[in-house]
Amino acid sequence: MTVSALTRPGERDRLIVKLSELDWVFILVLCLIAGAGSLMLFSIAGSSWSPWAAAHLSRFGICLVMMIALAMIDIRVWFALAYPVYGLGLLLLVAVEAVGDVRLGAQRWLSIGGFSFQPSEVMKLGIVLALARLYHGVSAERARLSWWLLVPAAMIGAPVLLVAHQPDLGTAMLIALTGGAIVMLAGLSWKVIGVALAAFLAVIPPFVMFGMHDYQRQRVLTFLDPESDPSGSGYHILQSMIALGSGGLLGKGYGLGSQSQLNFLPEKQTDFIFATLAEEFGFVGCVSVLVLYAAVIFMALRTSYLSHSHFGRLAAAGVTATFTLYVLINGAMVMGLAPVVGVPMPMLSYGGTVMLTVMIGFGLVQSVRVHRYAEVTSGKGSFV
Amino acid sequence: MTQPAIFFAEVNERQGVFHRRAILLGGFAGLGITALGARLAYLQLFETQRFEKLATSNQFNFKLAPAPRGVIVDRNGAVLAANRPNFRLMVARDKGLDTEATLKTLANFVPLDEARQRRLLRDINTAPKRAPVSVMEDMSWEQFSAINVRAPELPGVSADVGEVRVYPHGGAFAHVIGYVAKVNKEDIDKTPNPDPIMLHPGFRIGKQGVEKALDAELRGRPGAHKVEVDANGREVRHDQDGDIPAVPGQEVQLTLDVDIQNRALEVFGEESGGAVMMDCRTGDILCMTSAPSFDANRFVRGLTGAEYRALAGYERKPLLDKCLSGLYPPGSTFKTMTALAILMAGISPEERVGCGGGMQFGGRFFHCHKRGGHGSQNLNDAIKNSCDTYFYSMSLRVGPDRIAQAARAFGLGQTFDIGIPGQKKGTVPDPAWKKRYFSKNEAQQPWWPGENLSYAIGQGYLQVNCLQLAVMTARLANTDYKALNPRLIKSVGGKEWPRGSDVPDLPFPREYIDRVRAGMAAVTEAGGTAFRASQLGLGDILMAGKTGTAQVRNYDSGGSRGKGGAWGLRDHGLFVAFAPLDVPRYALAVIVQHGMGGSTAAAPRAREIMRTALLKDPELISRIQKPLPMPEIVPDLELDTVPAVSTTQAAE
Repeated sequence: MTVSALTRPGERDRLIVKLSELDWVFILVLCLIAGAGSLMLFSIAGSSWSPWAAAHLSRFGICLVMMIALAMIDIRVWFALAYPVYGLGLLLLVAVEAVGDVRLGAQRWLSIGGFSFQPSEVMKLGIVLALARLYHGVSAERARLSWWLLVPAAMIGAPVLLVAHQPDLGTAMLIALTGGAIVMLAGLSWKVIGVALAAFLAVIPPFVMFGMHDYQRQRVLTFLDPESDPSGSGYHILQSMIALGSGGLLGKGYGLGSQSQLNFLPEKQTDFIFATLAEEFGFVGCVSVLVLYAAVIFMALRTSYLSHSHFGRLAAAGVTATFTLYVLINGAMVMGLAPVVGVPMPMLSYGGTVMLTVMIGFGLVQSVRVHRYAEVTSGKGSFV
Repeated sequence: MTQPAIFFAEVNERQGVFHRRAILLGGFAGLGITALGARLAYLQLFETQRFEKLATSNQFNFKLAPAPRGVIVDRNGAVLAANRPNFRLMVARDKGLDTEATLKTLANFVPLDEARQRRLLRDINTAPKRAPVSVMEDMSWEQFSAINVRAPELPGVSADVGEVRVYPHGGAFAHVIGYVAKVNKEDIDKTPNPDPIMLHPGFRIGKQGVEKALDAELRGRPGAHKVEVDANGREVRHDQDGDIPAVPGQEVQLTLDVDIQNRALEVFGEESGGAVMMDCRTGDILCMTSAPSFDANRFVRGLTGAEYRALAGYERKPLLDKCLSGLYPPGSTFKTMTALAILMAGISPEERVGCGGGMQFGGRFFHCHKRGGHGSQNLNDAIKNSCDTYFYSMSLRVGPDRIAQAARAFGLGQTFDIGIPGQKKGTVPDPAWKKRYFSKNEAQQPWWPGENLSYAIGQGYLQVNCLQLAVMTARLANTDYKALNPRLIKSVGGKEWPRGSDVPDLPFPREYIDRVRAGMAAVTEAGGTAFRASQLGLGDILMAGKTGTAQVRNYDSGGSRGKGGAWGLRDHGLFVAFAPLDVPRYALAVIVQHGMGGSTAAAPRAREIMRTALLKDPELISRIQKPLPMPEIVPDLELDTVPAVSTTQAAE
């Protein structure tokens, strides 16, 4: 019995036991999604492995190996690294503010030794780890309603403001929502949730009108009325919806999507990959992929259920929340239900950064699963 | 059963809250994904048709293709304007293309010098993206295939086969048929609802003459190619089955005759002027030539600035249509009209006027062209000798109104509906006209009696064009005494246009017109002003006519009397004629601008043109080539003896 093996200290630290404890169905589903992504990338490149399909598959392979390796890392190591990762993320965000590269009008990239990356990606993981670490040592009473809640609020607020200032509203929103999800999961009072939600909704219209950059406001307004500017900002949404709608029940056939093959679909290999899938495989193909995503979400959430440590629970659920947000935001955008924000469909879209972030996250989730019986202490008390 | 107690020990408040909240998170995720699924179902299952339509309109474009332009033929079907294939080379700019380098490469295959490359580069860069700009027209087949073979290595370059208008007779029909050229901005601006085909680079629009007047009929209806395009508008595929075929333009048949027209231009040589021939039975215009002319094919290709300036600056004005737009005093050819007015005034044609070389009137001596005088002249003599004194004298009794009445009845001072624009009305003056014309200047308004004199010999304010003179002659010669109208366009798309002979009779007694005809016959008889120049040499087929020499300035200032000196100051030579004299078929008016004499410059040319027409007429040819009378058959008795006898016996 593997379950009993995990309950026995000593035996549960053996690598072979750990490997057998990985959620292999979960990994299989990830492979299926990444495979579907490669299939579509192959199609839109005109039945060619280059430039996207082959790279996508090999990246996924590397990330998968890395995920498994990360899953082997003891949950207590993750626990210990939580604040340092968050601190590093915050530091990098400050650095990018000062010396970051400006690309496409936004200051998001940091170059270190010829290798450039977005510090906001580090923060996506950092916020999950740090909040889980924070709540690990906090009683349910404080987590529910107390002045102490200002601490997690500040921990979420600082990176969100820095990222929003770059300006990268999509990522800022993602970090805020992920943080909010963890705070909620940790038992925040419904009253506070209600008030925060109301305040958030009340703030949106004035923010859209006065707090946003022109191009951001344009996207929101276009979303509200896509036909207002069909060749400009509304073009992306409209073309995406045409691709989806014209796919019908069974799709136009592999490699036969006119919208994607003839480049009417913008960003078809990244943010709008789901639309190409919808065009060529139709409703049946789309629902199949959505089911796979649902499976990933529920398996990851179940892992958080299994964890015996509060840190593990919150960390796994936090990663799940991030992933869910990716899927829902991208899906809503592609289907014309949300404004165009640069959020890709994880595992399906071409792009290394997001795949790396998500797979590191899943490495954490699998680590939580493998070490679900491990005792995690904050050093201060014995909250197991 | 050996499950450790640790499962239960973990249960505390935090875990309970987390589990409840996690279920909530799962519910939220499930709800979100279900919402996406529902949205997908709406878009993909219920709105499919709408989006399929949008996807198709994205995917396919219809590219207009000009229809083949209608052919223009002469009265016998000889081609006057047609189309020939044109191998075109085009270059379009696009993202990531180095147009300059492309042009340099192209220069290896087709002649493109540095200056032209620079100009093209500018044109291409100002044209819309991916709009092909013509780099070279009329490539040879070798050049065309050389480019086509290399097309894959030359992005942005395309070579295709279009159609280009061709005028096989060059300049002979340039004024009548006109030409086609590229559409310019004014063409589009002045069209109320411009056809999108007008923006097609291969489309040409009629700019003058028949090509302009019947542009809509000649143009046809453009077709369209169904092409698959990508988001950038680049063509990906051509769907042959989806093409909409073009409807070719209609054929236009003119009444002109290619041989007569060509001969007319030929006989003008370097001279400037016009010749119009009409069939005086039907009104059909057989020849309408303006000389010197220009090659309409050059206009199709597009003239260079230097070429255009050379044409426009030449004093003999090749671009002006001298048959319709050029106005000239008719000179003595107008005496036919004055003669009719004299008869209408009740003056006997036998009444005589003595000519002593001119006539004194109003303190001024009006010369006859013959200084020595013609002696005693009746109407017939006066037309034959073109005696000015007779007409001076009679004009005072006839008055301007009768002259104007005759002139107008014979088509002077008006335009005709021949289907093409550009006709000038000219002037047929009378006192009422003069009053109108000088409405600002009262002192000039009265009609002076002296004006009658110059009016009678076709000078003064009188101005006509060559077509009007031909109509006048055709009406004089029409055997049914009809007010014939000219017709230029015989049929369009097989539908015949109204004939010029379905018209009322002339408002003059027939014997008066016969008198004038007899006078014109005398002109070409021995002793007449055009005797030598109008001998056709076609047996009993004779030509009648009337010469005219029109002053372009007042001779009183002395000088060479218009018989020499600067070209622009010389007299115009005119001749109107019809033939055959007995049953007239062809009427002709020839004006030789500054040609100096009607009998020397115009009549010989008229004779050549007339001969061409007569020799092309099969009925007249049979009349000219009268067979010799059949010799009487004398039976050969020796050979026929036996049967003859037997026949005789049988009869007995």
